[in-house]
Amino acid sequence: MASSFNVNTRTEDGYAVIQTDGYLNGPTAEKLAETAKDLMSQGYNTFVINLERTRLVNSIGISILIEIIELLDEHGGALHFCHLTPVIERTFKMMGLTQHAEIHPDEETATTNL
Amino acid sequence: MQSVSAEETMHRLIFSLSELEQLGETIVSGRGNFNVSSRTYLRIIHGTLQVNRCAILLFQPTANCLTIEAAINIKGESLTIPVTDDDIATILESSIIDPASPPPALDPFFAQIQPQLELLDANLWAPLKIRDEFLGVISLGSFRAQDHLEDWNRELLPVLANQISVAIAYSRLLDKTRAEQFRLFMLSDTATQICKSLDTDAVQEEVVTHAITLLDASAGGLLLINPVTQRLEMKSLFTFEPDANTALESLSIPLQTDQDVPSSPLAQIAAPGGETLISNNEGNGALLGHRNLIAVPMRGREDTLGVLIVADKEGRGGATPDFTDEDRVLLEAFANQAGVAIENAQLYQEALEGRQLQAEMEEAAKIQQNLIPDTLPEISGYEATGLYFPRGGVGGDYYDCLPDSNGSWGFAIADVSGKGMQAALLMATLRAGLHSEVTRKEDLPSMAESLNSLLYASSTSGKFATFFYAQLHPETDQITSINAGHNYPLVIRAAGGCDELEKGGVILGMFANDILADIAEYEQETTQLYSGDVVLLYTDGVTETVNPDGDLYGEERLEVVATRVKSESVDQICQAIYDDVIEFQGEAEQFDDLTMMVLKKI
Repeated sequence: MASSFNVNTRTEDGYAVIQTDGYLNGPTAEKLAETAKDLMSQGYNTFVINLERTRLVNSIGISILIEIIELLDEHGGALHFCHLTPVIERTFKMMGLTQHAEIHPDEETATTNL
Repeated sequence: MQSVSAEETMHRLIFSLSELEQLGETIVSGRGNFNVSSRTYLRIIHGTLQVNRCAILLFQPTANCLTIEAAINIKGESLTIPVTDDDIATILESSIIDPASPPPALDPFFAQIQPQLELLDANLWAPLKIRDEFLGVISLGSFRAQDHLEDWNRELLPVLANQISVAIAYSRLLDKTRAEQFRLFMLSDTATQICKSLDTDAVQEEVVTHAITLLDASAGGLLLINPVTQRLEMKSLFTFEPDANTALESLSIPLQTDQDVPSSPLAQIAAPGGETLISNNEGNGALLGHRNLIAVPMRGREDTLGVLIVADKEGRGGATPDFTDEDRVLLEAFANQAGVAIENAQLYQEALEGRQLQAEMEEAAKIQQNLIPDTLPEISGYEATGLYFPRGGVGGDYYDCLPDSNGSWGFAIADVSGKGMQAALLMATLRAGLHSEVTRKEDLPSMAESLNSLLYASSTSGKFATFFYAQLHPETDQITSINAGHNYPLVIRAAGGCDELEKGGVILGMFANDILADIAEYEQETTQLYSGDVVLLYTDGVTETVNPDGDLYGEERLEVVATRVKSESVDQICQAIYDDVIEFQGEAEQFDDLTMMVLKKI
């Protein structure tokens, strides 16, 4: 099994959807963080991160996601996740991400609950 | 230069204290990612010390250099400053360093990094440290309102440096704690989840991917021992380099060389008593085309199952750390759990296949039973009976009695090679062909050729059938027969003696008809029957029955028994032969079915 990582973004009125594809580890999470920072510099501070195509996350990836949450907090923004695998959802809960970010089953539910 | 008023100084101090208080609250609240807070610290420095440019540079131990973490008004944020252990030791001795007039021991260091210092506009450095651990430096540029730092600012700078050092240490501690928390979770939760799966391929893939995430690595693979080939074979692979997959996906390593020693470092790990290999240098890491790797033996309940490999450990900010002893302990613990999961999945798979095979055998047995007649027809002037006794599975034995042309009757017996569903289906094909050919044939050789052609086209390589067919003409008491490689039926004469019905040709389904014509053409023979004569048709399951000493029952004993009971009814003859065979076999295990037909001229 080979893995690559891609980030696709879509901006809507007042929020941005970031779709990841692949293993969320150090280098790839940095890529995600850069994308988030770019969007924040454009004035977006509410994000939906769609992890439908991501099955693996490591501790560095999680650490960088926490960093994004803290950055958004500083700017009065919010982070929402959707389409988490059961393992990733349990991991996020255990690592405390769900205290500062909401989890939704799918993108539609996430965007209607912003 | 403008002088700084007391009032302005007071304002800046109040600003600094207020910002420091806010940062303290951030740290106490349990959130303190330095990546996020570093710019706030810089803002305090920038605002309080009135500098035009400033930066926080962090020490990267794996690369022995300083890199910019945050900067204000500085171009070239990707600059790096190489630093040696001696340089660090000297830097740590000072609370403030002026790059223009550093301690003499640092003269060579600062002389070498002039371009970087110019980019930083470095006027002062303040080391960041926790005890003797070097964390980095604060670099201050030129001052906005004066040409030097005022005394109170020189006192404030180390305080800020200490505060920032605490924040860095705290941030790293948080990262480390999170990583530990993550690893514990992965071990307890994920390994448990893997153990619940019984799909072999899925378990193997999960084991690799979770081992990689467990150790914060980028690649990995699972090699399992193939007990038949005695090779380590790649079962699951995860890598970011698709090109590398082609070679690695089919990686297969012999466990031992011709000299009976492990053939490679990986084979050594898989050998009994094999130990974990950690390779942080390119030599062994390049074993699989990776920077570094750790490979642990994966053990089952009794034996080593294979080797679990994790490669290319990663760190924050593009760092490339080594695999450690801690990683070894963790991966060995994970591999122990994963080994059980893989073994469970393998056992389940084997049981499933066993059940499928059993179901197939039962289905094949039903097909076979349906193809063999329950009773034989009544034929005027004759007695006939048949016996099929399964032993040790589903064989391809078949017998039949069917009306032939012009008031004659056909007696068929056959033995299809192999066992199970394939044999049962070939037997069904033979039976269908026989029933079709019986009414169409011109003579027995042409019927045999048609059946040969049918079986040759229907069967896979190595599948064939021995076949005997006798056409009984009750009005003349003659039998016309053909034998395609089957055990010779016996004609036990009432008047004494025994004939064998051997004329015929080659086994059905072995050769195509055109080849068959070059070997030998099928022939038939005609035999006259007299009152009391017994015709005995049987399969090799009768004569190849073995006793506990390994002796074969044989044709001779069969003839003796059949001759002894020839005056009895066909059922009694059949029973007597059966009893004798069963008595002969004793406790010996048998693998072939017992099948026979007995025809007697009254």
